[in-house]
Amino acid sequence: MNTRNQIKPLFSLPFWAFVLLANLPVHAQEKPINFNRDIRPILSDKCFYCHGPDPEHREADLRLDTQEAAHDYAIVPGNPNEGDLFARITSADVDERMPPVDSGKELSATEITLFKRWIEQGAEYDPFWAYVPPKRHPAPKVENKDWSKQWIDQFIYDRLKQEGLTPSPEADRVTLMRRVYFDITGLPPSAEEVKQFVKNKDPQAYSKLVDRLLASDQYGERMATYWLDLVRFADTVGYHGDQDQNITPYRDWVIDAFNDNMRFDQFTAEQLAGDLLPNSGIDQKIATGYNRLLQTSHEGGVQPKEYLAIYAADRVRNFSNVWMGATIGCAQCHDHKFDPYTAKDFYSIVSFFADVDEAQHFKKGSNSLPTARPPELVVHTRREREAIAGLEAEIEALKADEASAEANKKMLDEKQAKLNSLKKAARKTMVTVAIEPRVIRVLPRGNWLDDTGEIVEPAIPEFMGTVKQGDDRATRLDLAKWLTDTKNGTGGLTARVFANRFWYLFFGVGISKTMDDLGGQGEVPVHPELLDNLAVEFYESGWDMKHMVKLIVMSKAYRQSSIASDELQQRDPYNRLYARQSRFRLPAEMIRDNALSISGLLNLEYGGSSVKPYQPAGYYQHMNFPTRKYSHHTDTRQWRRGVYVHWQRQFLHPMMKAFDAPSREECTAQRTRSNTPLAALVSLNDPTFVEAARSFAERILSEGGMNDHERLQFGFLNAVSRTADATELKLLNQLLKQERTIFSEHQKEAEKLIAIGQAKASQEVEATELAAWTAVARALLNLNETNTRN
Amino acid sequence: MQNNSSFENQLNRRAFLSQSGVGIGAAALASLMGDGASAAEISAAGVSASQFGGLPGLPHHLPKAKRVIFLCMAGGPSHLETFDYKPKLAEMDGKPMPESFTTGQPIAQLQGQQLKCLGPLTKFKQYGENGQTISDYLPWHGKMADDLCIIKSMVTEQINHDPAHTFMNTGSAVSGRPSMGSWVNYGLGSESENLPGFVVMSSVGGRNPQPIASRQWSAGFLPSRFQGVEFNSSGDPVHYVRNPQGVSRAQQQHLIETVRGLDQHRNQTVHNPEIDTRIAAYEMAFKMQMSVPELMDVSDEPQHVLDMYGATPGDGSYASNCLLARRLAERGVRFIHLYHRGWDHHGGLEKYMDICCGLTDKPTWALLTDLKQRGMLEDTLIIWGGEFGRTPMFQGKGGAGRDHHIKGFSMWMAGGGIKGGITHGNTDELGYSSVENVVHVRDLHATMLHQLGIRHDRFRVKFQGLDLGLTGVEETHVIKDIIA
Repeated sequence: MNTRNQIKPLFSLPFWAFVLLANLPVHAQEKPINFNRDIRPILSDKCFYCHGPDPEHREADLRLDTQEAAHDYAIVPGNPNEGDLFARITSADVDERMPPVDSGKELSATEITLFKRWIEQGAEYDPFWAYVPPKRHPAPKVENKDWSKQWIDQFIYDRLKQEGLTPSPEADRVTLMRRVYFDITGLPPSAEEVKQFVKNKDPQAYSKLVDRLLASDQYGERMATYWLDLVRFADTVGYHGDQDQNITPYRDWVIDAFNDNMRFDQFTAEQLAGDLLPNSGIDQKIATGYNRLLQTSHEGGVQPKEYLAIYAADRVRNFSNVWMGATIGCAQCHDHKFDPYTAKDFYSIVSFFADVDEAQHFKKGSNSLPTARPPELVVHTRREREAIAGLEAEIEALKADEASAEANKKMLDEKQAKLNSLKKAARKTMVTVAIEPRVIRVLPRGNWLDDTGEIVEPAIPEFMGTVKQGDDRATRLDLAKWLTDTKNGTGGLTARVFANRFWYLFFGVGISKTMDDLGGQGEVPVHPELLDNLAVEFYESGWDMKHMVKLIVMSKAYRQSSIASDELQQRDPYNRLYARQSRFRLPAEMIRDNALSISGLLNLEYGGSSVKPYQPAGYYQHMNFPTRKYSHHTDTRQWRRGVYVHWQRQFLHPMMKAFDAPSREECTAQRTRSNTPLAALVSLNDPTFVEAARSFAERILSEGGMNDHERLQFGFLNAVSRTADATELKLLNQLLKQERTIFSEHQKEAEKLIAIGQAKASQEVEATELAAWTAVARALLNLNETNTRN
Repeated sequence: MQNNSSFENQLNRRAFLSQSGVGIGAAALASLMGDGASAAEISAAGVSASQFGGLPGLPHHLPKAKRVIFLCMAGGPSHLETFDYKPKLAEMDGKPMPESFTTGQPIAQLQGQQLKCLGPLTKFKQYGENGQTISDYLPWHGKMADDLCIIKSMVTEQINHDPAHTFMNTGSAVSGRPSMGSWVNYGLGSESENLPGFVVMSSVGGRNPQPIASRQWSAGFLPSRFQGVEFNSSGDPVHYVRNPQGVSRAQQQHLIETVRGLDQHRNQTVHNPEIDTRIAAYEMAFKMQMSVPELMDVSDEPQHVLDMYGATPGDGSYASNCLLARRLAERGVRFIHLYHRGWDHHGGLEKYMDICCGLTDKPTWALLTDLKQRGMLEDTLIIWGGEFGRTPMFQGKGGAGRDHHIKGFSMWMAGGGIKGGITHGNTDELGYSSVENVVHVRDLHATMLHQLGIRHDRFRVKFQGLDLGLTGVEETHVIKDIIA
């Protein structure tokens, strides 16, 4: 940006609010003013705190969030020099100048110029972009014949052209395959699959691959990981004693829903109000576990009234973050500072959930593991029920076949045993049961001790209309339907929130980068029209999630190389224009699954109770009620996917935590991606990774060929899906040689290393040789490339 | 901030002054806004945060304290048996608690019970030049009375342990906010190159040790590298800090060097700007594998020092943790947070005060005294206290005790530019409500930040559309009266 070099001396004019503009490579100054893009973010960040929607803290009786109020005296359209606003923001008198010095906010010269031009152009307000229903925009015409005609690509290309940029070339086949594998299934492709794909000349090969991945069970597991972050799914209650709770069938329901490609509107309705649906069955009840996922406290001495208020706020925060991309939680104590949500709106939404039976645990929730949070049901998941029915039918058939009774006996016994164990595997899960709704009052300043506030009924935020006609009390089901009703509800907004999140999942950064806030303080989308079209596409497709995934990953934009030229790195360091793909470290679950997959240990069993990997002794020492002893699983559950790992809110597994998995105490729409020493210590020293390395070493030795060279290549290929070059081979070979020498002199140490983990070390290989190769495998599992999606 | 990759953060920091940082908030600007010392003065004093990986522009003014040692007496010690002597409460012992005190107030385990006064269960004496009032449970505190600033007028907002700790640590009861140790490291960086800047240790002893969630040292929405790292007295001092069995330090080093070589080689093709951060993380990890065990090994401490603390190496006691706290402070760790779990005295208060004070009184004195004799007390801020106090009302879970109480309780601060030998604020005659110079938790936070050279109202980060800081948006005051 050319303004970067024109920093004014301090104290004359503030320089620091290039914040908004520095972020976007667009030269907003040279384009016609767009209120939502150019002006509203400044008003919101710098002015609304005192001159916004919240009447309680409004200064000088001036509000700048509506055109009518702003034009009253602060702004005279067409003439910046007449209204107060421009005079105050440009005043030379520090005491006069807005924003006030003690607010810590300042306007930059650029922002002041924007205000001036906006006022000159009539100071028109536009409705806030996110609340305007999305509509389809014609895609720009793209002239490049090498580029695709798909509308996503046309939007991307057009914008790049305006910026004088060009898209990156398509990623090589290996990179593309790894990318789409991780993105859709959360797992790496096998070396064999990569080989087949690279030599496949079928122009439809990529499309077929995508279809295959979308049809795999692993797709649901990968997508569920994201959803479970949003809804804060965990195996423990969160507060105080952080006791275990019964909820895993809900997790499996989410995975199934993704795999079945359940329509998103149904997905929404079943979770919020499955119990209220006509023909509500067991699966719909499991889905209502959503309403029970909040944190609860089982501490002696909690006051139920206080905690019901805490729970209510927790629900509104989560519900509004997840489905509305809104921070309505901010309106708990006062009207929202930046968005038109009032405190009354907050409590009106609370009221929708006032029928959820959540008070039983105050009496029945003990310090046992798991604790009790009735209402709970004992259930089989849909797949479990299908398996049971299948087995029962088979057993019937075998029994009916009297002629071969003798021959069938063994098979019959096996099936019967399997059936018995399946039946026994029924799990308890928390569900929503509607009871007489609690009376909900507006709590003045959020104070639960204050009973003077008005009583409110369930209602959507007032500025968004009403949820239904008539006198009946609105229900959670009405709320759920409103969320996905594109005609009379807020379906367009919901679609936009999730279109943005789909994009984020497949590009690493959203079209608006604030995944949990599309409100006034959120980021205005970099590609508003593209986002609109994706939103419309989402609901017009019948809220078809797999369709959205396929649409995005088939785009040429998605398939670009992630290698950025220095110029591009400079111009667009955060990849907001998508002139390349993004490169980022894998999320925690994928780090784990990837290592296990490469090693050959990965257990792809589907669904079930949560699993416990190795964990440092004493990690739960700070817990009590009851004190906790962690016992890791000693069978093949040890190697199951990360999505099934026991989620202890207060002490999340240290491996997960080190790689930025959230505690799931609150909604997480976007994880941090850090590179910390603690994470390095995990992948170097955590027994899960050491055992994986040793198993990988065994694979290398048994499958990798006959000599060091072939084996090093095999190892490298299986870790990063490509062959090693001469330098890489040399470095790995040095390590191998050195480790061989050391371990051959220290046989005992070699034996110790290969004894790590519950998988028995191969007896066919000498300990020293296996230990040396384990070192090589550890290096391979620690490579940046191994753990990067690019 | 949570949206940024670590590279992005790094880039932000580097680029801040030239293009204004995205999402960093107003923090860094404050020193340029005419507050406190000039950038030149701060730089001349060698305290500029950017040299330690902190925010450019911090500190806002010349700091008095370089580091904080927070001694958390988890469970909530009784102010009425430590620093807040109430003769009137003694008179009222056994009588009904006047309803004028309790009506409409939050209450924990005593809900629905008859409330009666419980007089102080111990005696108090005057100590030091100014005659500070300290109970007989804390004789070693008496010896350092002239260094302590006792605050008798604390108030907090949360009456149950878990949210009360969260409130004390983050200024909010909502999960997901950064803890103070993370804030301080985020702002000022860490002077230690091979230890984390925020270290947490805990010990147990007393009544019904209350759980402490790792949320208490979470970095919240700040970058993960600012989270507190637990140091354990048994097992691996830091999780995964030990090489896998059978692997020597030289081998581990060779492995890491191989990874670095391969990463750097690959980077010639892919130009990943984040690679330096990653390599640095591995190098720091490797250094920690050496420096952490070295730190924990106190065999180089002379016997008289061990005796002074009452520490037996490796026993995981509060005494050992105090000694380790001093060693961490010496190594430039910015924020050291000790928890001693055992102060939840709903019943058997006398018995458990004997235990808790027996375990913590002398080591606390030793820590302060040791720092002082090494000339480190002047730039180390020590803060002592629980997540709340205890009721003037009787509770009897196994002998006389007290319930949770948030309207008035005591803490103390020492060193780091805080006046010693003074008492600040007071509660009412029954020790129920803070009535004089009331100090809210956020005032404590603001004062702590002030001593570190940070203006709390200028130290903000954008999260979910809000400018969030440790102190929030409610009215907050630095406690000027206690600053030396």
